[in-house]
Amino acid sequence: MTETALELPRRRSLPRLRGRVGREAGVGLGLLAVLGLLAVLAPVLAPHSPEAIDQHRVLGGLTWAHPFGSDALGRDVLSRVLFAFRASLSISLGAVAIALAVGIPIGVAAGYFGRALDAVLMRPIDLLLAFPALLLALSLIAITGPGQLVTMFAIAAIYLPILARVVRSSTLAVASEAYVEGARARGASHLRTIVQHVVPNAIGPALVQASVLCGFALQIEAALAFIGLGAQPPTPSLGLMLFDGYQVLEQAPWADVFPGLAIAITVVAFNLVGDGLRARLDPRGITR
Amino acid sequence: MSPRGRYALRRVALAVPTLLAMTIFVFLIIRLVPGDPVRTMLGFRATPENVATIRHDLRLDESWPAQYGAWLGGLVRGDLGEDYISHASVSGLLGQRLPVTLELTLFSLALALLVGVPLGVVAATGGRASRWLTATFTIGGISIPDFWLGTLLVLVFAAKLGWLPPTGYASLFHHPVENLRYMTLPVVTLAIGEAAYILRTTRASMQETLGRPFVTFLRARGLRERSVVYRHALRTASLPIVTVVGIQFGVLLGGAIVIETVFGLPGVGKLVVTAINQRNYTVVQGSVLVIAALFIVVNLVTDLLYGWLDPRVEARLGR
Amino acid sequence: MTPLLRFRSVSVRFGDVSAVDDVSLELSEGELLGLVGESGCGKTTLALATMGLLPSSATVEGAIDFRGQDLLALSEDERRRLRGDRISMVFQDPAAALDPAFSIGDQVAETIRAHRPVGRREAKARALSLLREVGIADAERRYRDAPHRLSGGMQQRVVIATALANEPSLLIADEPTTALDATIQAQILDLIRDLRRRHGTTVLLIAHDLGVVARLCRRAAVLYAGQLVETAPVERIFEAPAHPYTRALLAALPDRSRPRGALAAAAGQVPDLAAPPPGCRFAPRCPLVRDECVRRPLRTAVSSGHDVACWAAAPAASTAAGEIVAATNGGR
Repeated sequence: MTETALELPRRRSLPRLRGRVGREAGVGLGLLAVLGLLAVLAPVLAPHSPEAIDQHRVLGGLTWAHPFGSDALGRDVLSRVLFAFRASLSISLGAVAIALAVGIPIGVAAGYFGRALDAVLMRPIDLLLAFPALLLALSLIAITGPGQLVTMFAIAAIYLPILARVVRSSTLAVASEAYVEGARARGASHLRTIVQHVVPNAIGPALVQASVLCGFALQIEAALAFIGLGAQPPTPSLGLMLFDGYQVLEQAPWADVFPGLAIAITVVAFNLVGDGLRARLDPRGITR
Repeated sequence: MSPRGRYALRRVALAVPTLLAMTIFVFLIIRLVPGDPVRTMLGFRATPENVATIRHDLRLDESWPAQYGAWLGGLVRGDLGEDYISHASVSGLLGQRLPVTLELTLFSLALALLVGVPLGVVAATGGRASRWLTATFTIGGISIPDFWLGTLLVLVFAAKLGWLPPTGYASLFHHPVENLRYMTLPVVTLAIGEAAYILRTTRASMQETLGRPFVTFLRARGLRERSVVYRHALRTASLPIVTVVGIQFGVLLGGAIVIETVFGLPGVGKLVVTAINQRNYTVVQGSVLVIAALFIVVNLVTDLLYGWLDPRVEARLGR
Repeated sequence: MTPLLRFRSVSVRFGDVSAVDDVSLELSEGELLGLVGESGCGKTTLALATMGLLPSSATVEGAIDFRGQDLLALSEDERRRLRGDRISMVFQDPAAALDPAFSIGDQVAETIRAHRPVGRREAKARALSLLREVGIADAERRYRDAPHRLSGGMQQRVVIATALANEPSLLIADEPTTALDATIQAQILDLIRDLRRRHGTTVLLIAHDLGVVARLCRRAAVLYAGQLVETAPVERIFEAPAHPYTRALLAALPDRSRPRGALAAAAGQVPDLAAPPPGCRFAPRCPLVRDECVRRPLRTAVSSGHDVACWAAAPAASTAAGEIVAATNGGR
């Protein structure tokens, strides 16, 4: 970036995804749009009630009435997948949102003010990073007991440090740029500088990372539910469906295949979007 | 002391406060439980007498620093407390189950490296077809939940084909062949996901290395392309791979926890899940501690390995 | 006598960009030729084309004859066998050129074993003597050192050692001293000169600094924007430069007799090689430009061994006599 003394770029608006975002990201975004619609419209789209037990259709195969088959209690797998997807996705997105909400301020503060504040803020962050992700979640769940809400906060706790670090790295890079110094020289307060100049320019990599993490959050939510420490029945979760499906694997593999497929496709979509956005929003390669 | 020695010492020294901080964190788990953890733990078995006994055992009525000190003292002596539900020693339990988890994670890691590194090199040097193939494998491997993959493999290889057993375990040392039969599906399951990450890292690192001037100079000396890629470029490119392996081991441990449940393996992962479900806090504490410590140690080892491999470690001492 | 190396109307393109345009040049056996030009003029591209190390996006036309055999017509494996054995190259940045993961001694030995069926011990012995020959003091102890433990000058000596390990006929030295300190530069250049004398290697020295060329070379060729503009014995270049660009280069040299004078710079900028001017590429900046310059000037002899490609310098080319001279030159 070349700047002369006369033309310091002033505040930058949020990085705009102008122009071709790349085919990857395009496919990913399209996929996410479809998936998002499915999640939101689940109650409308589901052909049956997810709880509707039908003795005649126990472990039934794929039919027109039940395109994804039926499970051990004769419930329609497609409807269950839609509702479970809705629930699991909400939790995952919620977790990443919390992680962003807490992680961005921490990362910005650490990167912008540096020195003592940086050390104080980053110590606990680094400690959290020293834990294997799932184990951290499990430790937190051990305190309160399993549940859907705990799952969301536990996943947020896993991703908060990662996002904080990413934000800190990009803040460090941005804070040393000329236009930030220029703003301060013009008398802008720290808060104003941060909000107007630092955050819009430093947030790109965090968004890239967050989009990828949404997919992984979904995987962890399902994993926790699968081992019985996440959402508890009757709260729906793709992980619980996978556990139930695993019990009847031989007789009704569709009960296991479709929930898993839902997760896989969603994660692929988030990864495509993240990778596609990376070129645009993370030119310095902070997220890898 | 040689620069490598100094680097090693620094890394070890850095690991100690991390371990200590982690013990504090684990220590707090029981203490943060709302209500009376002992009553919750014992559940229907709770009587005023055994509650009082256990509270005394765990020194729950003393100040937190005192409790922590006593607990830490026990840790150092290898005493991780007692499982108040089964009346076994926690360290005994863990000692039994840790080898299973270690075998699962280490075998998976080895298999992932064996598959991921060569494929990554191929992806970096090959033509469009190999690049597309490996890109697909990478995205697939990362996106597919590993426990779901496990169930699918069970469906195909255990249920439909009957080649391998879906659950069960035999000790590696006593029944090696049986052990391999039981461990094949779990190890392959974990390895596939891991291989995808390793492939991606290898490809990126190789691509970057192959673009460097010293590679052109190697070719200018008339060395065969195979030697340039595998003997020279790969050696320099392998440093980031070492780092990624360290980080990924945490993911691997997490995956192992779930996979042990899928395949019914008697490892630490299954132990901690069961313990959390049962509110068996002392066991939770012990197993979380051990798994977390294992991760920190593995990271330390990979850091040391990196330092040993990197010829320029002297320049990096300021890191 | 057949020249050792002969570029015959060599052109190199990278997509739209014309990096080298119809260059014809010869090197005789045992000669030390300096190829001069500013950065981006195509000298490194020519060197890489000779070595066969251009990226796949490059298209090469013409012929590069090595001992009468066209290198461009050889298979990749045949070219590989020549590299490091019959034709070697020394790069500009020695720190970047050496493999950081291998000891300097091993890198020399490996170059030997890549081309000769010798055992490890013998290769090591030879590598040791090579290291000593290039002036690495205490070679025994330093054999096992990693490249980063050596200074820039030492690293370049190692690079030269690997390049000369198999007694190549041709050594291409691409700006071997640019990345080094001034005092070391002289040492390395002297080393190259001594080694050349001892082994009879033909050297193509690429430089952007006429002073470097003057120190070492008998003959020099000047390149501008991918075109060869002048070839002459070094003294002639300095005493009677024929091409306006050569004159500009000389004028730009800091003159020690006038320490306070401003550096003379040629007006204008290097042309965009994706859309170069037709004919002579120096024309837009040339003080002597004339109408003919939109046609590529023919190479004409100004005096014995002194060729120039410039309508202004050799107007005789537009007469019949000049055409005969030009025809003779073209066939030479």
